[in-house]
Amino acid sequence: MTTELFIVQVLNGIQYGLLLFLIASGLTLVLGVMGILNLAHGSMYMVGAYLMWYFVTVTGSFTVSAALSVTIVLSLGILIERVLIQRFYNRNHLDQVLLTIGMIFVFNSLQSILFGNDPYGVSVPDALDGGIPLTNNSTYPVYRIFVAVICVGIAGLLYFVIGRTRLGMMIRAGESNREMVEALGVNIKSLYTIVFAFGVMLAAIAGIIASPVSSIVPGMGESVLITCFVVVVIGGMGSIKGAFIAALLVGLISTFFSILMPSMANMIIYIFMILVLLIKPQGLFAK
Amino acid sequence: MIFEKRTERIIVPIFFMVALFVPLFLDANSFFVGKVSTIIIMSIFVMSLDFLVGRVGLITLGHALFYGLGGYLFVILSPEYEVVNFWVYTFYICIISALIALVIGVVVLRTTGIYFIMITLAISQMAFYYFFDSLKYGGDDGLFIYMTPETSIFGLSFLNLDDPQHFYYLALFSLFNTLVFFKVVLRSRFGRIVEATKQNPDRTEALGYNIFAFRLTCYVIGSTLGAYAGFLFALQYSFVNPTFLSWELSGTALVMSILGGLGTIYGAILGTFTYEGLQYFFEHLTKEWLLFMGTAIIMMVILLRKGIAGYLEKLLEK
Repeated sequence: MTTELFIVQVLNGIQYGLLLFLIASGLTLVLGVMGILNLAHGSMYMVGAYLMWYFVTVTGSFTVSAALSVTIVLSLGILIERVLIQRFYNRNHLDQVLLTIGMIFVFNSLQSILFGNDPYGVSVPDALDGGIPLTNNSTYPVYRIFVAVICVGIAGLLYFVIGRTRLGMMIRAGESNREMVEALGVNIKSLYTIVFAFGVMLAAIAGIIASPVSSIVPGMGESVLITCFVVVVIGGMGSIKGAFIAALLVGLISTFFSILMPSMANMIIYIFMILVLLIKPQGLFAK
Repeated sequence: MIFEKRTERIIVPIFFMVALFVPLFLDANSFFVGKVSTIIIMSIFVMSLDFLVGRVGLITLGHALFYGLGGYLFVILSPEYEVVNFWVYTFYICIISALIALVIGVVVLRTTGIYFIMITLAISQMAFYYFFDSLKYGGDDGLFIYMTPETSIFGLSFLNLDDPQHFYYLALFSLFNTLVFFKVVLRSRFGRIVEATKQNPDRTEALGYNIFAFRLTCYVIGSTLGAYAGFLFALQYSFVNPTFLSWELSGTALVMSILGGLGTIYGAILGTFTYEGLQYFFEHLTKEWLLFMGTAIIMMVILLRKGIAGYLEKLLEK
């Protein structure tokens, strides 16, 4: 492997890992704080990407489309939490699995009714359409750097909000003792709505910013969901920091294996996860 | 009596009585006999999952691994252009699946809770991609079976597996045996201890039982029967492909068993038939059947807290 190829793969791996982190952080937040196992989380990634494609086709503007898509998914998140998820806080994980599988069915069928089953793509916005020279004769696309920068920005924001703000304090407190937080006068119901809606929004943002670099196809939600569960489990349930490190590891490992050993590429992250669980049964950064 | 509840004593005989006469009322070669056979095979699979999830407390999202294993083992083991014996191959497939389940069980049973869900999922995904990417085993097209096994025992043959009606009765017979088997196991001393390990693992351990050994035994039993169901399915349609191993199948089976009433064993039959029936109904009603299916699942999980069996028990038990 040449140095040049190596650098490109490292960059690709990091960018893929950061994208995974964006989706997985929402998943781990909802699981850790609210105890909800949301299999429909990947559907929100899909919803984000499809909305983005639709609005870009209609309006032609990347920024406007992104803003519209985020707003819609955020409202959708609030609606889903209020109508469905709220009934399931005191039910077991199995009932949650059943509910969210039902939701996957509904979202997949809405996707096929509203947008059809053809694969779509969104073109890279003009301002970001270019390459950064790596060596004399190769460049790295600016858009991929942009994706990475956005993801790092959101990760930083998440770290700040959860670690340094009042809202973050309430979220962390709600994670360790729900009744106590409620007794102290925090409205845990609306806190949960906020957490769920933001978690869902993170998945949709990933779908939105990934839309120009990956194709928009039916079933995209499920495949990304399983990978993100792997990330969450490797990182340790409920740990944002763990999800970040695990996402980068998974991103790098799967990118490198798809070059070095294509026949193992799909299996490797599961092998990696099993190895991690055998050594640390609670994940790398378990609480 | 192995059927402890009044509801079981009513539902189970009615089901098997009706099921026995189904092929006689329908044209023997009709689509429906085959379709119902498939649902019966699925019921065996869901029942084995219900045993693991509802009775042993092992929430696995990788049960399809064994369904696929049953199918693939059959195709890989049997010589391409030679008729093999059904009973002998049933034996081979069950033994090999049990051994594989034993090895996997030792690994996965080290974890509990959500980690158990995830590690079972991971192992079945590994198998999925192994077969999906392998050229030797047909990749995503899977493998075809050219020869239907014969079924003679000591030179006597009374089943012709090419005949849909005969196959139907084989599937029904298998389902009945699976049901009785699980009921007997759960009634036994062994079953009572398994129940205890689910309800209070710490106390059971304190009483001197090796929880791990009990769980492992159950995992092997449930997985082997799951593999048997996959073998029957591969036999019916003469092919096997990676979708047998997909996590969607594990998820659907879980939905069916929860729908039927988790841990009731006979509920697996109710759940599978209801799910497949609804799907068949919606599929013929509209192209967008998935929307109705999803909505129906969401409504049922909200309204029927203990599944269909739980609802029937509320009506029939005094």
